[in-house]
Amino acid sequence: MPPATDSGPETRAADLAANGSGTTRRARGLGAVLSLRAFLTATLIASAVFPLAVFGAILLAAGLYSDDRVIVPLVIAAIVGAACFGVAAAAIAVANVTAPLRRITTAIERVAAGEPGPPIHITGDDELARLAESHNRIAAETQRRNGELAALLTAIAGYEPSHGVETLVAAAERDARRIYGLIDSQIQLVAPAAVPLAETTPGDPRPVRAEVRAGSEPLGVLTGHLPATRAWERADQDLLELFSNEVGVALRNAQLFGRIENQNARLVELDAAKDEFLRSVSHNLQTPLTSIRAYVEQIQSASPEAAGDRRLAIIAEQSDRLTRLVRQLLTVTRIEAGVLRPQAEVIAVGPRVRRAWEAIGASGVTFDFRDEANGWLAVVDPDQLDQVLWALLDNAVKYGGQNGRVEVLVSADETIERLHMTIGDDGPGVSAADRARLFARFSRGAGSGSGEGTGLGLYVSRQLLRSMGGELWLEPAGKRPGAVFGLSLPGEPPGDGG
Amino acid sequence: MTEPRQQRILVVDDDPNLLIVLAEQLRDDGYDVTTARDGQEALRRLEAGWPDLIIVDLTMPRMDGLALARHIKAQADLPIIVLSAIDTADSKVRLLDEVAEDYVAKPYHYPELRARIQRVLRRLGDRIPRQAIVLGPNLTLDLHHRCAAVSGKEVQLTPTESRLLHALAANLGEIVTTETLLARGWSDTEDAEASYVWVSMRRLRQKIEVDPDHPIHLLTVRGVGYRLVQSHAPSD
Repeated sequence: MPPATDSGPETRAADLAANGSGTTRRARGLGAVLSLRAFLTATLIASAVFPLAVFGAILLAAGLYSDDRVIVPLVIAAIVGAACFGVAAAAIAVANVTAPLRRITTAIERVAAGEPGPPIHITGDDELARLAESHNRIAAETQRRNGELAALLTAIAGYEPSHGVETLVAAAERDARRIYGLIDSQIQLVAPAAVPLAETTPGDPRPVRAEVRAGSEPLGVLTGHLPATRAWERADQDLLELFSNEVGVALRNAQLFGRIENQNARLVELDAAKDEFLRSVSHNLQTPLTSIRAYVEQIQSASPEAAGDRRLAIIAEQSDRLTRLVRQLLTVTRIEAGVLRPQAEVIAVGPRVRRAWEAIGASGVTFDFRDEANGWLAVVDPDQLDQVLWALLDNAVKYGGQNGRVEVLVSADETIERLHMTIGDDGPGVSAADRARLFARFSRGAGSGSGEGTGLGLYVSRQLLRSMGGELWLEPAGKRPGAVFGLSLPGEPPGDGG
Repeated sequence: MTEPRQQRILVVDDDPNLLIVLAEQLRDDGYDVTTARDGQEALRRLEAGWPDLIIVDLTMPRMDGLALARHIKAQADLPIIVLSAIDTADSKVRLLDEVAEDYVAKPYHYPELRARIQRVLRRLGDRIPRQAIVLGPNLTLDLHHRCAAVSGKEVQLTPTESRLLHALAANLGEIVTTETLLARGWSDTEDAEASYVWVSMRRLRQKIEVDPDHPIHLLTVRGVGYRLVQSHAPSD
């Protein structure tokens, strides 16, 4: 910015000219049309030149009626000279007035645009100088508050819920001192009314205070002291409240985060406890089952009569059944923990189905099995496939008709290299209401007694099949009665590996 | 069994009922059986003499099956079968690959357990080294950990696949018949057929050969069986 020109007297003259001649009212109307500069110039010219011109005209008139031929051109020249001088003087005066005004305007515009430049220097103690000084002060304050706002936003952005309430409180207290230049600051997480208002004593550090709240919920109070020399205005208070509100939100988030962390930790604990429980239940159930099974086998192998004893066969079957249920429970925990790691072994499905049927031991139920796989083999985890077959065949027996008949068909779809299986019963089928939640956990058919089954069979079967690249679904209700489940499995042609 | 002498088995389980019946079942089949109720007792039994095979429960007081198995393997390559209620999907079971030859879930079916015992005991004759077998620049087998390194990438093998490779590697370069492989891979599967071997070999080739259509390690001897060969020629 150029050094300020000493334009005191002209400015005052222009001031007087603009305000003193009763043209102020017109200025409003004309101001809308002319710029301030043009208007000032015209007014000055008018007020300086007009009386002179009248005086000249009178002289001229007087001269015209006299015979003096010299005086007329002299007067005309004087009028023209005066007019030129008037215009030039007015232009200079106006330029002197408007230049600082323009500087102030530009500066104010910059402040308004949010980027205050260096302060304006206008010497003297007139209105313009005071205006400039007042602007400088406002600009400085704005700049300071902008700085505070920026620091505040940066500080807030750094508040992570995971830091925890205590760390955040300490950080916020530190930031409040740094940002607002406070001597001290405390955040008390108590009801705001419990912290008495501090009185302002002139000359002593000035107390400041803002409520810490998350939304409308008060969490506490931020208090502190400002050096006695510092001004504290409405805008500063607003900024402090903005900060304390953001701190409130951050603290609330940290509290919630902490709560969720605690709950998560508890859930993890509970989950581990559940797994441990299931494991120990499984162990404690399977240990006696193992002895029962082993003794039955031993007795059965001891004599031909024992081998044919139906009662021993039932003990063996029922302990196997119990074993399968225990294993199913364990599988659920594996599925939910996402730790199923099936082996992809090559097996023929047919014999597996037959053996699973024998293991079910459903006497009095007709087993209609057709193996049309043409030697195609499945690539699955044999243990997992057994679990699926046990569950589905068990279901077919359980929900089948009185003189039940279970139909199983295995076939190969050679074009897509998959094995298909359908397992159907001759029971009432699955109602439309049950279809939707059939594969959900703990879902039991409406027809089953309350004590039958775990409600896990279909859920576990579908999850096991999917883990092996297979699928399980319920076939749409067809012409024949009963429920038909469809399975697909990855398959391999039987051809020689050469 | 056509063994020249009675084979000795040590059974370690904390359930006395099971120990009695399993010992009787094994003795009926001609094995010399000793029993122990926990890991520490098992170690004391071992001081008196080493058996040919140990059957061990995973969950036991004082010293559990895993610790016992590790302890034993650190001293000698004694075959171990884990017999436990913990199901095969359990993460602990993964660790068993390190220390145990086989795993049988409780409650066991004795015929199945017997088949596994016989298979593990037969495997003793193979004497396959426990360290990795380098078959070429692009293939290294680590059967102990049931995996192979193919062109630097690790490939997991299923239990059956690693048993098949085990049998082939024990006769490196020579023909192993399909029947032998079937017996080795599916000894506890009653109705296994030759196609099991064919399909498994085809899948194995997909896993371990750089170009499965032009195998250089796992070769088919048409109508007879398969050969696993070393090849240090660049494979591509």
